[in-house]
Amino acid sequence: MNETAPGFSLRSPREAAPDPEAKIEIRDLDFYYGKSPALKNVSFGVPANAVTSIIGPSGCGKSTLLRTINRIFELYPEQRATGEIIIDGANVLERGYPLSDLRRLVGMVFQKPTPFASSIRSNVGFALNYYDRLSKSETNDRIEDALKQAALWDEVKDKLNHSALSLSGGQQQRLCIARAIAVQPEVLLLDEATSALDPISTAKIEELIDELRERFTIVIVTHNMQQAARVSQSTAFFHLGELIEFGNTSDLFTNPREQRTRDYITGRYG
Amino acid sequence: MAVPARRRAADVVAFAFASLATVFGLFWLFWILWTTLSQGAAALTPALFMEMTPPPGASGGLINAFYGSAAMILLAIVIGTPIGVAAGTYLAEQGRYTRLAATVSFINDILLSAPSIVIGLFIYEVVVRSMGHFSGYAGALALAMILLPIVVRTTEESLRLVPDQMREAGFALGLPRWRVTSRVLYRAAQSAIVTGVLLAVARIAGETAPLLFTALNNQFWSTSLNGPLANVPVVIFQYAMSPYDEWHTLAWAGAFVLTSFVLLLNLAVRVVARKGTRS
Repeated sequence: MNETAPGFSLRSPREAAPDPEAKIEIRDLDFYYGKSPALKNVSFGVPANAVTSIIGPSGCGKSTLLRTINRIFELYPEQRATGEIIIDGANVLERGYPLSDLRRLVGMVFQKPTPFASSIRSNVGFALNYYDRLSKSETNDRIEDALKQAALWDEVKDKLNHSALSLSGGQQQRLCIARAIAVQPEVLLLDEATSALDPISTAKIEELIDELRERFTIVIVTHNMQQAARVSQSTAFFHLGELIEFGNTSDLFTNPREQRTRDYITGRYG
Repeated sequence: MAVPARRRAADVVAFAFASLATVFGLFWLFWILWTTLSQGAAALTPALFMEMTPPPGASGGLINAFYGSAAMILLAIVIGTPIGVAAGTYLAEQGRYTRLAATVSFINDILLSAPSIVIGLFIYEVVVRSMGHFSGYAGALALAMILLPIVVRTTEESLRLVPDQMREAGFALGLPRWRVTSRVLYRAAQSAIVTGVLLAVARIAGETAPLLFTALNNQFWSTSLNGPLANVPVVIFQYAMSPYDEWHTLAWAGAFVLTSFVLLLNLAVRVVARKGTRS
């Protein structure tokens, strides 16, 4: 068992078996856009309270995997997932699993910042009064807490009523992280969350991700291998919809087991 | 770096054509405004907004016509906007991928291009004949039917322009569709939707044909929408067709006020639209 990545013990997806320490257990997951498959028989366990990065060339299914975990793909007809994604013992892909429960449990941050056209305060508090009946001061506490966790509080505490659209791109992205964690999820999905940001904002968010893993199970999709190496404890490499290799990040980058992984990380394709 | 002479010449020619086209368009607009203003100047007095439409040979104003138009336009907005926004929302959101929505959208396009006189005749047949008399209600309904497809269309279009990622961001927080629509999408699209409603109002403000068969006209002061109601376009039409000079002047003054109102609405649209892009 590895210290930095407590949740996994297997290097090869083919040997996958239920992992008691995984927060998210993905089993035999297939995904289709219409008739064309995007994920083929994917199985692995995402370790709890760690950062797992999903890497691979464009179109390999990495974003699709993320969008399956919170079932956001269901907004679109013709997109379909089969298999199981087990979080805390329940298969969240099951029809009967309530979507609002799932999305409270699993927050998501997107590639481009998505601030809503309202104040900073109401952005962070956006979903709060939907889930909980909170007094005004409790709401404000939760908003402050979320902004502090997202390392944005000091920059915005004097202008909570200003439009969220007045923030810089990096601030907007941290605002989106604050909005996602305000409803107190246990899992955070980041879909190329820094690819639209400048290097300084990116560094800030990477630092933030590192802090957040104490409280959350984090899955990031990134096309930046240095980023995967910097922020994650375990890494899954996908190619053409298949999970090629999953393992400890440092092992995977220094000593990949699969030839395709080696080719990708050494820049032979991608 | 020197720009090749050919490209510079092409630029000059293109710029000249564009300028000419602009001047050509503006020329007619100013001519229309100037004509209505100069011909109606004699009647552009406070009395225009304070006195009733006069009998031939007497002086007067258009207060009853202004009132009637305002009342019918307001009622048309009240009827048409909620239905239009709701239908547009269905087409862009709930019904997005359904055949029903595609069909409704297609039918809406037909309604959008239906000649207004056809809509007037339709309301005449359905409302005026069954009520037994002309009325402001019928006029407002006819105007609402012209406004409705415009609002449906602009609502649908402006919601479709909201990036999918904004929708996903709302849904990813676990909120139900109505909440995502009302609190994320409407906010993002509100200036575009308001623009659509204002443009639709500008369109119905000058409609004459649908009112001829529905509200008709009224020489007398009447605030009741349940009877024939004076309105600016029909008064302009009747007065312009009359042989009396005073009536001609009043018709010109009415035309000037109507044109200015539409112009102001369009300016308001610009302001709203700019606000939308800035925030």
